[in-house]
Amino acid sequence: MAEKTTAGPMDAARFAALADAYGSALHRWPRAEQAAAVRFAETEEGHAILRRAGRLDALLDRQRVEAPSPTLYGAIVARAATEVRQVRRRRFWWLGFGLAGVGLAGAVAGLALVTVVNPDIQSDHYVMDANATSFGDAGPDADQTEEDL
Amino acid sequence: MGADPDEELVRRIGAGDPAAVQAMVARKLPRVLALARRMLGDAAEAEDVAQETFVRIWRHAAGWRQKGTRFDTWVHRVALNLCYDRLRRRREWVTDELPEVADETPLPDAMPGDEERRVGQALQRIAPRQREAIVLVYYQDLSNIEAASAMQVSVDALESLLARGRRALQAMLVGDDGDD
Repeated sequence: MAEKTTAGPMDAARFAALADAYGSALHRWPRAEQAAAVRFAETEEGHAILRRAGRLDALLDRQRVEAPSPTLYGAIVARAATEVRQVRRRRFWWLGFGLAGVGLAGAVAGLALVTVVNPDIQSDHYVMDANATSFGDAGPDADQTEEDL
Repeated sequence: MGADPDEELVRRIGAGDPAAVQAMVARKLPRVLALARRMLGDAAEAEDVAQETFVRIWRHAAGWRQKGTRFDTWVHRVALNLCYDRLRRRREWVTDELPEVADETPLPDAMPGDEERRVGQALQRIAPRQREAIVLVYYQDLSNIEAASAMQVSVDALESLLARGRRALQAMLVGDDGDD
């Protein structure tokens, strides 16, 4: 959000526009334009513009707001204890869930790594036993088959 | 933007420091209450808004990060949103939208000692966005940049709202264009 900057002297139109918006107290005016405004305020025209804006300011200053009651102050402080405690507890639980999640993810990743690096070789392997030959199984069942023929 | 004067206090509240809670209430409650009182024109509703604003402060303190906005500006934005919720609820009986144009009919002359009430009435009769701009800059002493940020408008738009609001107040309270 940019603020206008005034390097040179301020003209009456800009001074009046700022007084229309911010009133007669220069401390409320845009910081970047205050130095130029202070210089223009010393002119007769500047005095007149500020005097006009000051009439409304004098009325606005009469509108005061009562200070907060001790009851309101106490109620707000009392509520803080509950709210802050709940938020901290919730954050603690989320931290716990987060850590558990990281642990679980680690376990899954570890299992996947073991599966890739050291796969189960039994299913694809044919293990030859003592009864097997290059022509087939030469075990007792094989003999029986030959007799049947 | 310089260092945020509230940042350390907010961090301590997030850490559960009861002294920081009290310091924050002492620092912000008068400002929040005044803002809501002038926006709503109703003391009881203003107290409700102040309480709700602080509930949000307590809930967000532990995770609050500056991100280019001062904490005080954020608090003003929260309180203003709560005020607008209430203003909209009031208007639901009449119209869906908040008026953009102020009712600038001059108010009757005040009896001696009655000026304060008259100014309060005039503030309630100008358009809410104009009132918001005047309350932030004139009464809450926010800089133009902070006020524009709280209102989520440009500085030029803020100045336009301020000027139109002040002109409307001038017409109601002074009854002329303010010329000598």
